[in-house]
Amino acid sequence: MIKPKFDELIHAPTRLSIVSLLAATEWADFKFIRDSIGLSDSALSKQLTTLEDAGYVEIRKGFVGKRPRTSARLTSFGRAAFDRHVVALQEIVARAGASVLPR
Amino acid sequence: MANEVRPDEAAGALTEIARRRAQVVTLTIIPTWFWWATAVLMVGFSVAVETRRPLVIGIATAAFVIGILIVTGRLVLAVVGRAQPRNDLLGPTGVLAIFGFVAGILAVSLPTSFALKAAGVRYPATAGILLAGVVMVVCGPLLMRYLRRLMLDHRAGGPQ
Repeated sequence: MIKPKFDELIHAPTRLSIVSLLAATEWADFKFIRDSIGLSDSALSKQLTTLEDAGYVEIRKGFVGKRPRTSARLTSFGRAAFDRHVVALQEIVARAGASVLPR
Repeated sequence: MANEVRPDEAAGALTEIARRRAQVVTLTIIPTWFWWATAVLMVGFSVAVETRRPLVIGIATAAFVIGILIVTGRLVLAVVGRAQPRNDLLGPTGVLAIFGFVAGILAVSLPTSFALKAAGVRYPATAGILLAGVVMVVCGPLLMRYLRRLMLDHRAGGPQ
C-alpha cells in the first residue's frame, strides 16, 4: 500500500513530464527526453539538475565511441516519491467523485 | 499544497503521466516491417536449403545472417539510442503471451513440415516455414497491439 504524498517538486509541469517519462524507463537518453518533452538543452539540464539535487534523478555521462552521451534514470528514492505523488493525485480526483476523470 | 490543487488539475497531471508512459511503451512495440522482413528471410533461406545446392545454400546462409543482423540491429539501435523501457512493463501475462506466440508458430510449422515430408511433397520445410511466416505477419502485429494494451493497463511507470 503506497502512502499518498503530494510532491511539489515533481508536480511542476515540466518536471512532471520528465519524471513520468523516466518512471516508465530504466534509463533514458538526454536527447530522447529533450525531444519527447520539447525542451531546449539548457532548460532540460536545469530541470534535471534540480531533480538530481533532490536525489530523485541520477545523471550518467559517458561515451559511445567518441560521442558523449548523457542519460538519466530515476533513483529508487525518486521512484517512491513519484509513486506517492501519483496516489495523492488519484486521491484528489477520487474525492471529486466521477465528475473529474483523467482523460 | 495538495489541498490547493483542483481535481481537474490533478486529473490533467494523471493524463500527462499516462501520456508519457504511452510514449515509452511505444518504444517497445516491434514494427510491422520487422515481421515481414523476418518472414521473407526465413522463407528465402528455407527455399535455398531445400535446393540442396551447396553454392545456393552458402549464399543464402550469408544473406540470411546479414539480413537478420540488419533487421534486429535496426530494432535494437532504435531503442538503445533513446531509452530502455522498464523491465517489469510486460508483467508475467505479457511474457506468457510472447512464449505462447513462439509456441504457436512452432506448433503450426513443425507438424506441417513433417506431415508434408511424410507425404512425399517437395519443399516440405519451405511450406512449414511459409506457414510460420504467414502466422508471424498476421499475428505479430496483433501480439504487439495486445502487449501495448497490457503495458498501458499495467500502470507501469506508476504505482502498481
